[in-house]
Amino acid sequence: MRIVVAEARVPFVRDGAELHAQSLVTQLRGRGHDAESVALPFDGRKDELLQQAAAWQMLNLSTSNARSVDVLIATRFPTWFARHPRKVVWLIHQHRAAYDLFGTSYSDFTTSEEDMRLRAQLTALDSKAFAECERIVTNAQNTADRVHRFNGIAARPLYHPPPLADQLHNGPYGDYILLIARLEPLKRVDLAIHAIAQADRSVRLVIVGDGSQRAALECLAAQTNAAERITFRGALWGSAVTELYAGARGVLYAPYDEDYGYVPLEAFLAAKPVITAKDSGGPLEFVRDGVNGFVCAPDSASLASAINRIAAGPSLAEHLGRAGQSVARAITWDGVIEQLLG
Amino acid sequence: MTALRILILEAQVPFVHGGAEILVRELASALTARGHHAQIAAVPFLDYPKDEIFAGAEAWRLLDVTTAGGADVDLVIATKFPTYFARHPRKVLWLVHQHRAAYELAGTRFSDFRHTARDVALRKRLIDADTRMLRECVGHFTIARTVSERMLKYNGIPSEALYNPPKLAAQLHDGPYGDYVLTVTRLEHVKRVDLAIDTFANVTSSTRLLIAGDGSIRHDLAERIAQRGLRDRVELLGRVDDARLIELYAGCRAVLFAPYQEDYGYVTLEAFLSRKPVITARDSGGTLEFVEDGVNGYVCEPTADALADAVNRLAADAALAASLGERGHGVAATITWDNVVDRLVSAA
Repeated sequence: MRIVVAEARVPFVRDGAELHAQSLVTQLRGRGHDAESVALPFDGRKDELLQQAAAWQMLNLSTSNARSVDVLIATRFPTWFARHPRKVVWLIHQHRAAYDLFGTSYSDFTTSEEDMRLRAQLTALDSKAFAECERIVTNAQNTADRVHRFNGIAARPLYHPPPLADQLHNGPYGDYILLIARLEPLKRVDLAIHAIAQADRSVRLVIVGDGSQRAALECLAAQTNAAERITFRGALWGSAVTELYAGARGVLYAPYDEDYGYVPLEAFLAAKPVITAKDSGGPLEFVRDGVNGFVCAPDSASLASAINRIAAGPSLAEHLGRAGQSVARAITWDGVIEQLLG
Repeated sequence: MTALRILILEAQVPFVHGGAEILVRELASALTARGHHAQIAAVPFLDYPKDEIFAGAEAWRLLDVTTAGGADVDLVIATKFPTYFARHPRKVLWLVHQHRAAYELAGTRFSDFRHTARDVALRKRLIDADTRMLRECVGHFTIARTVSERMLKYNGIPSEALYNPPKLAAQLHDGPYGDYVLTVTRLEHVKRVDLAIDTFANVTSSTRLLIAGDGSIRHDLAERIAQRGLRDRVELLGRVDDARLIELYAGCRAVLFAPYQEDYGYVTLEAFLSRKPVITARDSGGTLEFVEDGVNGYVCEPTADALADAVNRLAADAALAASLGERGHGVAATITWDNVVDRLVSAA
């Protein structure tokens, strides 16, 4: 089939959604489809949103170069406004500032009459566009809950393997807990630093990632009694990452209300247990307390006691990690593509 | 030098990968290599049915490209129709082409615009809108003289032709003047590969024609080769990778490239950088900016007879091919990215 994957890209910024769309194109091509991504530049300022939806609406993607396009796969706001007789949405997110982030410090929408009207308008436009679609699935349960709550649409999550799926492998259950995240407030890396300071002295914390909070977090780590047991490795890619997964005792991943998050699945594919928090969102779709990891209260003491459980010896870590591995292995691109294309 | 945040505006045709796409990526790398922050912003270009071309233009008008990711964009570089419909106070044009079907191709077999009241009105509306948008640009450059001439004729806007080296410039090299003539092209009507095939029905020596590239009329061309009884002389190689292409250039006797009104076409420069002469036609457009008859190649009537004469001459004399190719190399070597970047950035 000839398939267009529609993306909205913020110029000069790289993010997970772009990776997601690119993986989908690659996987579709690998199965013999003629797939191509189409991306309009996206600008999240609220006074531009309606215009951008209108720009997508201008595009009739039913034909390209005199040949018809069989399916359009939309991913995030405002890609579903493109015109095509057969639209499938694999929802990554709506414009979150007008949806679930409204009322938090992450949104530029206020309670002014104008903003409230714009929010209502965006939600109504999205709902109308969704109604034109042949099928709506989401990237995660959190996303499905959101589209149900705001747009009144029942959608199932359709999980996909993380980008490193093919390269991840198991290795010895070493003396460190691995944490991989962009160093931003929502990822709550500070919680992990406090936790390791309270945990058994035999275990170290290795932090991979970079971001606006790096200096503050390094400073925080230096002030704890565990400074020598905490390492910041910066942003790493490819085999540097898979090797760190392979040699870890376990993986700690406790962000605040993540939608999906590749890290728990990557940890499982390396047969490592995952320690997460009750309010971490996406990870809870896969991590089962005491089965393949630990689901803790979002405080450092709870996380520290989970760390101590797997620090006590490699056999529990391995047992939990193996259970996680079978969960992650059930998520395949074959399954995704079959359900997307129906 | 100040590092600028630059967006290159691209009209993407989904499922089609051609020269303009390479040009845009090369420009992005050239800007990045000189310390700028350059990114590509694309909107798909859809021209069917004909009325949709305004919708695409409208989409560009609706998007705000003055900021991105919370910071100002210092400069945008528009390339093809309808990217120059974007709004930006520092919009520089490096025109690849307008919507050619509504310009010089209208009324030819290469266009879906006919001489009907509706189509004539649509063309006029499109050209008028183009003129307004093109005037907004603070600098006017094109990729070739043919394009500049067209913009002057239809939109009344003068511009400077700004040439760029082909993508493979650094890797191309010379080699033996072998027993085949090379054509490198997408297999589309406007490239006139049929003419190249017919030429070989009139070629007297055992010289072969190798055609690298793929396209929508490949099947028709294969049939034509069979019908002319040229299966042992003319070969469709399909799409070849860069390494193979470089070797094909290095080993050929000459390059035959006679499309109809090509704007620029890297093939001429690639041939010259491989020290090979170029055989082209006097209505081939962009090739004529570099090919001089009898100096670095041949400029022929667009007929199989005339092109065959040129092939026969080079087939008979490898030393002649080498001396013409050497002079072509001198022409191609003067075209650099440094010049392109300097001119585009200093225009705004």
